[in-house]
Amino acid sequence: MNVNIIETSGLGKRYGSTWALRECSLAVPAGHVTALVGPNGAGKTTLLNLAVGLAEPTAGTVTVLGGLASGSPAALDGIAFVAQDTPLYKNLSAADMLHLTRNLNRRFDQPYAKARLGELGIPLNRRAGKLSGGQQAQLALTLALARRPRLLVLDEPVAMLDPLARHDFMALVMTAAADDGVSVLLSSHVLAELERVADYLILLSRGRVQVAGEVDDLIASHRVLTGPAAEADRYTERPLVHARRADAQAHLLVRATADDPVPPRWEAHPVGLEELAMAYLREPGAGALPGPACGRDTHPTEVTK
Amino acid sequence: MTALTMPGRPAHDARLRPVPWRRMAWVTWRQHRAALGGVAAFLSAFAVYLWLTGLQMHHAEAAYCHPAGSLGCAINFTGRYGETAIIVSIALQAVPALIGVFAGAPVLARELETGTFRYAWTQGIGRLRWTVGKLVPLAVAVTAVAGAFTVLIAWYNQPWVAAGYVTPFSARVFDLLGVAFGAWTLAAFAIGVLAGMLIRRAVPAIAASLAAYAGLAFATALWLREHYITPLVTHNPNLPGSAWIISHWYTGRNGKPLSQAAISQILQAYHPATNKIGPNTFQTFLNAVGYLTQHGYTFWASYQPGSRFWPFQWIEGGWLLALSVLLIAATVWLVRRRAA
Amino acid sequence: MYSDQHLRVSDAEREAVCGRLAEHFAAGRLDQAEFDDRVGRAMSAKTRADLRGLFADLSETGAPAVPELPRGGGGTPGDGPRGPGSPIEFRLDAASGVPTYLQLVHQVEHALRLGYLTLGDQLPKVRDVVASLAINPNTVLKAYKELETKGLTAGRPGQGTFIQATLGQVALPELAGLHKSLLGWLTTADAAGLDEDGIVALFASALRDFYKRRSGTGERRAARSGEAEGVA
Repeated sequence: MNVNIIETSGLGKRYGSTWALRECSLAVPAGHVTALVGPNGAGKTTLLNLAVGLAEPTAGTVTVLGGLASGSPAALDGIAFVAQDTPLYKNLSAADMLHLTRNLNRRFDQPYAKARLGELGIPLNRRAGKLSGGQQAQLALTLALARRPRLLVLDEPVAMLDPLARHDFMALVMTAAADDGVSVLLSSHVLAELERVADYLILLSRGRVQVAGEVDDLIASHRVLTGPAAEADRYTERPLVHARRADAQAHLLVRATADDPVPPRWEAHPVGLEELAMAYLREPGAGALPGPACGRDTHPTEVTK
Repeated sequence: MTALTMPGRPAHDARLRPVPWRRMAWVTWRQHRAALGGVAAFLSAFAVYLWLTGLQMHHAEAAYCHPAGSLGCAINFTGRYGETAIIVSIALQAVPALIGVFAGAPVLARELETGTFRYAWTQGIGRLRWTVGKLVPLAVAVTAVAGAFTVLIAWYNQPWVAAGYVTPFSARVFDLLGVAFGAWTLAAFAIGVLAGMLIRRAVPAIAASLAAYAGLAFATALWLREHYITPLVTHNPNLPGSAWIISHWYTGRNGKPLSQAAISQILQAYHPATNKIGPNTFQTFLNAVGYLTQHGYTFWASYQPGSRFWPFQWIEGGWLLALSVLLIAATVWLVRRRAA
Repeated sequence: MYSDQHLRVSDAEREAVCGRLAEHFAAGRLDQAEFDDRVGRAMSAKTRADLRGLFADLSETGAPAVPELPRGGGGTPGDGPRGPGSPIEFRLDAASGVPTYLQLVHQVEHALRLGYLTLGDQLPKVRDVVASLAINPNTVLKAYKELETKGLTAGRPGQGTFIQATLGQVALPELAGLHKSLLGWLTTADAAGLDEDGIVALFASALRDFYKRRSGTGERRAARSGEAEGVA
C-alpha cells in the first residue's frame, strides 16, 4: 500500500504578482497524520486549497490519492476538507447539515454521524450558528468523517478552540485515523501540540518547502551538540542547521544521528519536534528534504547573551 | 515502521456515478426556501391588493365608462382610480427587479462572502453540478411565478385599456404584460447571479444588480424597444388608440423638417376659439395639425400599429432570454475557473 | 490507608474476590468448607471492609487487598462499565520531554512492576488510547511493538495485545541490601560536595555508560519470562 496521498512536483501558485507557493515538490505517503507547519503567510492555506481542488496551480502539478487530479470527481469523492473557521450554514440545524451533506455526496454514513453527534452532545435541532465554537468544529469534522474519506484535510482546525475542545477535536480525528486508516493532513502554526499527533512533517517558509519527512526520521537525524563556544565555529563534521551561542557555551543543531561521533568536551542531545521546527524556521536557507541534502554554506547564528 | 494499513473500502466503482440531480434539488430547496418563501409572500400580498382594487376598477369601468370619455367615467373611474393605477404600474415596474435580484444575487455572493463555498465546492457532487443545480431551478421558479403574476396584472390593467387611457404598447405597461414581465424577472435574476459571482458580497451585489437592471430597463423603454421593427410612417394624425406613436414632426415645403421652436412660432399666430387646454387635448392637437397643413406644412408621424404588440413581446422576451442564458452561462464558467 | 472501608462494592468486585479466593483454595490455603463459606460471604458482602475481612489471614504478595476496578480504556476515569477491557489506563505528560511512545512503554513496565498488570492482562486497545489521549495511532503501535520486541507482550490478531511476561522481581532482602549500599554511596557523594541535581546527573551518566558497555548500543533490558534470560 505505498500510495502517495499527496504528490506535488514543482507546484507553484501566484496571486497577482506574489508567489504564495513556489517549487513545492512533495510525496506524502498514505496512512500518516501529516502536519503542515509554518508561520502565517507561508503558503499553508494555498497548498491545502491546491490539494483539495479549490485553486488551480500556476506552475507544476499536484495529484492526490495516488495519482488522481486534484478537484476531479474521484478526488472530491475521496477527500473531505474542513476549512479555516469551519464553514457551516449558520441558519441550518445539525440535522439539516447531515441531510445536506448526504445529498451532496455519493457516500455518507448517517448512523456514524448521528452516533458521533450524540456522543459529543450536539443537539440535532439547534441551528449551527447557535452552537459553541467547539461544537461547530466538531460538527464540521463529523460531517467530513461521515463521508468516509481516504484523506481528511484540516486547515488550522483548532486555532479558535479552547483546550478542552481542542483535545476532543483531535481525539475524534485520531480515532478516525485509528479505526479507518484515514490519512490526515492538517495545518497549524502552533508547534507545541504537534509532536504527539503528527508522524509526517512539512514545514513551509515563505512559500517554499523547507522540511519534509517522517517525524521519526527527522528526529533520528538531528542532534543538538552543546559545547564550548570557542570551538563552535570550527565544527564541520556534520551539516549545521542552526547555532545559538553565548560567551562560553554554544548549542549547535546539526544533522547527525545517534551513531555519529561527538567531539570531546561536547554533549549530544536528541531534539524535539518543536525545537527542530523552530530552528529551521529561523534559518530560511536551511532545508531537510528527502533526497540530496539541502546544505548551507554559511553559518548564521543567533547570539544570546 | 509500519503505518496503518488502508482499510478495505467497499468496491469502488472506477467510473464514479455522478450524484443525481434530484439530490441537488433538495439542497437548493432547503437553502433557498426562505428566499422563495419571501418572494411568494411578497407577491401574494401584492396580488391580494391588485385583486381587491382590480375588482373595484372593473366594476366602476363597467358601470360608468360606456361610452368612454363621458363625464361620469371621468368622475367615477378615471378621477377616482387614475392616480392609484399610475402608482401601481410604476411599483409593478420594480417587481421583476426586486424578485430577480433578491433571489439571484445572494445565491453565490453569500457562499463566497461567508466562506461556505469551501464546504460546498469540496463535496462529492462538484462545483459545476452544484451551481447548475441551484441556478436553473431557481431561474425557472422565479420566471414561472412572475409569469403567473402577469396574468393578474393584465386583468388589473384591462379596464384602462378598455377605457382607452393606456395602450398596451405604452412604456408604463408594456413590460408588465405578455411574456415581458417574466422575461425581465429572469434577466434580473441572471444579472443578480453574475453580479454576486463577480462582486462576492451580497449587499453590494444587490445594489449593483439593481443599478444595472435599471439602466437596461430605461435604455430599452426609451430607445431600444421602438426599433424592434422599423416603424410605419404616416401623414394621418388621427391614429387609432392602440397604436404607439413614437414621434411626429413637420416638414416644410422644401422637405426639410422644422424644429419645435419654429412650430411654436408659427402656431402663435393661430388663435382659434378652441385653442385652449380643454378636456380633450387631442382635439387641440388635431386643430393645430389642420392649421399647419393648410399653411403648406406636411405632418409626419412614425408609429407602431397595435397589431405589433405580440411580435414585440416575443422579440423582447427573446433577447432577454438570450441575455439571461448568456449571463448564467458566464457565471457557471466563472465558477469553474475561479480560484479560492 | 484504607479510608474507603465504608464504600459499597459492586458485583464486579465481588466476583473478582471470588476469583482470588479460588486461587487460595487451589494453593491449599483454604479447605472446601472454608472456601464455600468465604465465597458465600463475598457474594453477600456490602462494603469494602467486608471484602477485605475475607483475606485477613491470607498473605497476598504484590496485588492490593481489594482489586482495583478494571476500567475499559477511553472513558472518563471512574466511569464506564466493567467489561473485557484493560486494567490500566495511560496518561500523557506533554511537558516531560520524553517521547510519547516511550512514556507508554514505561507506563506498561511500571504497571507490571506494581502489579496493576499481570500475565494475560490486556493492554488498552489502540483505538481507546487514541480516543482518550488524542495521540497518533502510529505512536501507540510503536509503543506496543517496542513492548513486543522486549518480550513483554504479544499481540493476538483480532483480539488485542496481551501481557506474556512479567518483569523480573528482585527479592526483598536483595532490594534492602541494594538500598543500603546506595545510601552509603549517596553519603560519600554528599560529602564530596555534590548537590541533588549533581547527584542525579552523575547517576544518569553512569547509568548510560553502564548499559552502553553492557549491550553495545541502546538501553534494552531483558525481560525474564522464567525460562531463559534474553539479552538484547
